[in-house]
Amino acid sequence: MALLEAQDLTLAYDAVSIVDELSLALPAGEVTIIVGANGCGKSTLLRGLARLLKPAGGKVLLDGEDIHSRPAREVAKMLGLLPQTPTAPDGITVRELIGRGRYPHQGWFKRWTSEDEAAVERAMTLTSTTGLAERPVDELSGGQRQRVWIAMALAQETELLLLDEPTTYLDVAHQLEVLDVISELNRTRGTTVVIVLHDLNLAARYADHLIALKEGKIVAAGHPAAVVTEAMVKNVFGMPCRVIPDPVAGTPLVLPIGRHRVLRAETVLAANGIHRTQNPDADLDAGPAPVQGPQAGTQEVQARATAADPGSNTPAGEGIERAEEISDMLAFATKVVRIEPIGENFRRLTLAGKDLEHFGAGDAPLDLRIKLMFTPDMDPAGGGDQLPAAFESLRPGALLSRADATGWYRRWLALPAESRGVMRTYTVRALREAGHRDNCGSEPEIDIDFVLHLRTDGGKLTGGPATVWAAQARLGDPILLLGPNAALCGADYGGIEFRPGTAKRILLAGDETAAPAICSILESLPAGITGHALIEVPDTGDIQGSSTRSGVSVQWLPRGSHPHGELLAAAVRDIVAIPAAGAVLTGAEPEDVDIDEQILWETSTASTQPFYAWLAGEASVIKDMRRYLVRDAGMDRKQVAFMGYWRRGKSET
Amino acid sequence: MARVNLLACAGILAAVLLNLLAGRHPFSVPELLAALAGETVPGVSFMLWEDRLPQAAVGILAGAAFGASGAIFQRMLRNPLASPDVIGVGYGASAAAVAGMLLFGAQGLGLSLIACAGALAVALLIYSIAEAGKNTGPRLILAGIAVAAMLQSVIQYLLTRTDVRTAGDALRWLTGSLSASTWERASLLAAALAILFPLLVPAAAKLRILELGDDTAAGLGLKVRSTRLGLILLGVGLCAVATAVTGPLAFVAFLAGPLALRLCKGRSHLGSAALTGALLVTTATFLAANILPDIQLPVGVVTGALGAPFLIWVLVRTNKEGT
Ligand SMILES: Cc1cc2nc3c(=O)[nH]c(=O)nc-3n(C[C@H](O)[C@H](O)[C@H](O)COP(=O)(O)OP(=O)(O)OC[C@H]3O[C@@H](n4cnc5c(N)ncnc54)[C@H](O)[C@@H]3O)c2cc1C
Repeated sequence: MALLEAQDLTLAYDAVSIVDELSLALPAGEVTIIVGANGCGKSTLLRGLARLLKPAGGKVLLDGEDIHSRPAREVAKMLGLLPQTPTAPDGITVRELIGRGRYPHQGWFKRWTSEDEAAVERAMTLTSTTGLAERPVDELSGGQRQRVWIAMALAQETELLLLDEPTTYLDVAHQLEVLDVISELNRTRGTTVVIVLHDLNLAARYADHLIALKEGKIVAAGHPAAVVTEAMVKNVFGMPCRVIPDPVAGTPLVLPIGRHRVLRAETVLAANGIHRTQNPDADLDAGPAPVQGPQAGTQEVQARATAADPGSNTPAGEGIERAEEISDMLAFATKVVRIEPIGENFRRLTLAGKDLEHFGAGDAPLDLRIKLMFTPDMDPAGGGDQLPAAFESLRPGALLSRADATGWYRRWLALPAESRGVMRTYTVRALREAGHRDNCGSEPEIDIDFVLHLRTDGGKLTGGPATVWAAQARLGDPILLLGPNAALCGADYGGIEFRPGTAKRILLAGDETAAPAICSILESLPAGITGHALIEVPDTGDIQGSSTRSGVSVQWLPRGSHPHGELLAAAVRDIVAIPAAGAVLTGAEPEDVDIDEQILWETSTASTQPFYAWLAGEASVIKDMRRYLVRDAGMDRKQVAFMGYWRRGKSET
Repeated sequence: MARVNLLACAGILAAVLLNLLAGRHPFSVPELLAALAGETVPGVSFMLWEDRLPQAAVGILAGAAFGASGAIFQRMLRNPLASPDVIGVGYGASAAAVAGMLLFGAQGLGLSLIACAGALAVALLIYSIAEAGKNTGPRLILAGIAVAAMLQSVIQYLLTRTDVRTAGDALRWLTGSLSASTWERASLLAAALAILFPLLVPAAAKLRILELGDDTAAGLGLKVRSTRLGLILLGVGLCAVATAVTGPLAFVAFLAGPLALRLCKGRSHLGSAALTGALLVTTATFLAANILPDIQLPVGVVTGALGAPFLIWVLVRTNKEGT
């Protein structure tokens, strides 16, 4: 197998050196592709390797011998070249042109032989030009013509083939056609191929060995998977880009980041943006929207008005009504009916109860959030198995006054801390009406996926109260759940934050606490929506099957030993590009949120942007990504939701 | 192509015969046959053997040489404008010959050698100007046209400096004519061409490769520079030996190649160009002798008259194509 090498090769035109003391060895039997910006010397290098240019320094070795010291014809039997713009004489036919490739094999007086004929036939077969044999070359399409030229170089039957930009002036389909022919040739004949190519992505796809050239020097060389990186492209082409795996070939795919048309909003002022930093559950406290009549905070009405007639509908005012008729939020008494480990660190509890007939907010569960109440009353260890009494009046069927429908949160907070228990926020992973075929019993059911962030301290499980409860829950355990009243809450319910508006592309990103929300959003997404879902989970064992009809691609990121959020942040950066420096007014610095004092909660409701992002998880991780997306990527805050689901080192309050 | 070559040969023969039998002072067929058979036919034999036949022989040989020379240049530079008479090689021969004639009274073989030397010198000058960079083809043509213009003024200057009688001889030579043809000159030309014509075979093989572009040719193992130099020498040689004998027959070299290309439907060949050149000259000889009732024109005038419109057409077309 002929070997081509360059040793300290310097190539110059008129004393201006284009290629500078460059050394390389072309791997035998492989396809080497040389890339680089215009004027980097890649074509010059190829000409030098093909002995078209005499080196100003160093040398080119063919099988260890200086290529310029060997007879030209002998070299031409080992090394073929297809220059950038070969010229076909007028009127020449395909067969005749290909036949000219036999020139080095013919002597002064040696005529056309059957061996020449056979070589031409082989070249035509390999390039599928047999059918064109008698056509004049001028009449062919660009792609056909290029195949004919390649056939001519093939007829030369050399072990090495050098091609200078064989795809210029061709449309995409023909570019692939030509490169396919070349790689076919490499595979079937073992020909060592060197190509100068300007299309980096095609280069990454077709090369076994990629050489990146800059100012006449090799900047990187090796397998494309190792060589094509964002830093290399930036360095060699001066172009910021993203590199992702080519979904077709698996090779690196370079996505340039230009000055315009980058995924971002028009940097419309944060001032205009719909964003807020406030307690997401403030609205729980605000109570039902249309509050009429005197706001009688002092006028305590017995919540459990035993005398009231459950059938009578007292009109609005000071009267007592059924909870499900006036309160957006209800308390639902449920029991654990199924326990299922769904991952190394996940436990799915199915809760069922008759109350749940009144639970719901429109059809799509999306990221519907609820509250779970954990009180000493219900701690089986403490002897209690009762649901917290403070919420009895909010259960469906209970009677209460309008005033009580709004004041419950404050009332609950006013209880002594030891007895009021704690409230924790979770996501409804699935809601099944009574009679659903997957149900355990006859009542409606809700699935909740708990992240078990636990440690064992001296044989005792420690973690947050919700987690400890979930980890130890047994069938039949009661739990009180606060959530939307199906009769009064529709799809615009405030406990759902996923509001993509008219967006067709979305980004969902979160850690394990957001996994249930992301999975249920994915399940309800219609076809036609595309984008990415990124879910960082503690372990590979936590990866769950997620189904979606949409075109959103789902990526699970097992954290392993990485710090929490690191992989997620990196993946988000990969997907949402930073526009080239100076290309856009970068977004204003988002105002700071002290995530240890406040909940980071910025959501929007009225996006008309084509793109929408939804991010949830540990507050500091979300805060970092918020900063990146708003400030660096210039994203409009009308098209994003940032939600701190929990804060490291702090209990939910 | 073989058919075209055969047709061209027949055409040449026809033109020669036509000139003998139907031209000015025609011979009758029996007279001609008798004279050809070696009998002495008064008034015919001498005319035939000492004037008409050497004239035809020189016409054929010179035409072929011009035709081949033009085709070599045109194909090598991929440009119909690149024939030696357009790019100044012809003027090199003319200027040298005129200088030799007027300054040293050169004649015969001496004149031929001077003409050759002049053509070669000019060719090498043009080549060295053009070779000094990229785009050899177009640069060669431009350099040639510039040199041609310069040489024309040199010739004009030489002519104005000499006395009218010798200047007249030189002028006649400059228009190109076969009237001074003798067997001696014809054999001189034949001897030179016997050496040069066989070289057309390897030249054609290399041209076929060079036509694909310099880089492709080099990739196929052709030594581009030396090949090009060799082809230039061959082209110049052919042009110069013919010019030395007949003077510059205007535009024969320029016309023969493209004409042959057209006749062969685009598939030309140096041989066809040579035959076409010969056909052009023999036909022009007949026309020159007979087109005007009482004046016999020099052949060069006729070929010039044929070539000029074609040159204009080529220029217009190239201009349209924007190349
Ligand atoms: C809208 C919304 C939806 C949510 N949905 C879900 C859900 O479906 N499933 C789910 O499991 N969680 C969900 N969460 C997160 C959950 O509310 C918190 O993880 C909560 O802190 C758990 O309560 P706890 O009693 O176990 O711990 P806490 O008493 O709140 O905290 C105890 C300690 O544990 C730490 N901690 C809390 N959560 C984690 C964790 N995930 N990993 C490691 N350390 C932690 C805290 O920083 C603190 O130091 C959701 C949160 C929100 C706001």
